[in-house]
Amino acid sequence: MSEVERVEYTPVSVRETLIMMKDISELMIDLAYSAALFNNRGLAEEVIELERRMDALVYVLNMNLMLAARDKEDAESLAGVAKVGSLTNNISDAAADIAGIVLNNIGIHPIVREVFQRTEEHLARVSISENSILAGKTVEDMDLAAEIGVDIIAVRRGRHWMINPEKEIVMPEDVLVARGTAEGIDKLGRAARGESKDLV
Amino acid sequence: MSEDNQLFEKICNDLVELKDTSELMMDLAYSALLLNSRQLAEEVLELEDWMDMLHTEFEILVLSAKDGTQEVKGLLGLIRMGVVMERIADAAAEIAEVVLRSGEPHPVLTMVIQGAEETVERLVVSESSSLVGKTLREAKIPDETGMWVLVVRRGDRWVRPRPYTVIQAGDIIVASGYVEGEEDLKKLTSGKE
Repeated sequence: MSEVERVEYTPVSVRETLIMMKDISELMIDLAYSAALFNNRGLAEEVIELERRMDALVYVLNMNLMLAARDKEDAESLAGVAKVGSLTNNISDAAADIAGIVLNNIGIHPIVREVFQRTEEHLARVSISENSILAGKTVEDMDLAAEIGVDIIAVRRGRHWMINPEKEIVMPEDVLVARGTAEGIDKLGRAARGESKDLV
Repeated sequence: MSEDNQLFEKICNDLVELKDTSELMMDLAYSALLLNSRQLAEEVLELEDWMDMLHTEFEILVLSAKDGTQEVKGLLGLIRMGVVMERIADAAAEIAEVVLRSGEPHPVLTMVIQGAEETVERLVVSESSSLVGKTLREAKIPDETGMWVLVVRRGDRWVRPRPYTVIQAGDIIVASGYVEGEEDLKKLTSGKE
């Protein structure tokens, strides 16, 4: 049985917390699908780790919402905020369930790979070669979203995962997990392998 | 094509549809919250009904796959994947219900989706707009106007904005961004530059 932590009240901005929860829940879905597609335990464990963080965030969010209500009107409108908070948590629970498929060795049917080839967004792993134009750049500086419509959701260096990277400098031999269109992923692959000196 | 292949083809199609629909529903649900739009919220609930049907069909198909026992775990993995997509869709539907339940959602909710000083616009793409026939990537709407396309309405369908989505005349573009960008986007969609 995993450890359940005590959550203490901390004053936080409801808005910031909810934004963080929405972002984490969306990231978790991407990571969980990647974990399933690549049958990768490391990614699945990252999803579970984020799930623990989400659970603590919901508590802190709700504590702050309770203190924010002064009258009936506040209570009525804040109930909706609490509801949305708990729903982003539901989404992260769903992501954790996908991770569970991987961690419990339930097995990924070959159909899953086929499915991810056909969905609107593709997931892919690319390794960075010595002569790639991406080596030595930060994920933020690559600006892949604007350039080729691709998001980097994680970087693996050796056994270590960096989730939702921004300021991290990508090095040769790193493995990037990316989400984007087939075309964008293809361009990323060529740049990562050092086959193209230009993203577009 | 053998009977088994046909079955797996159908299972595959359904799972693709389940995944894409669940993601579209999330986008629409957050947009409904942002715009306080009952119409968008109702759209999410309609998709939820369709999702339920699809999910049942998918589960029946998977259960009817008569594989050897060594494949059973893989089939269970498929069933669980479907359940997860259905749960995401449920969460989206409940977010839509928050919109339908309240007269006016709490301002913090709209602030979560859009930063302060932002606006949301719905604009019809006219025949003479330079956007017609371009993909969203080619159109570079965020670069040109600072507005971000949330969703596109085409006839009675909602389309998720993807870099390769081709803009058509008559499309309704729902976009959010800074107030300053509003005029630029209006010029772009109307074709009156």
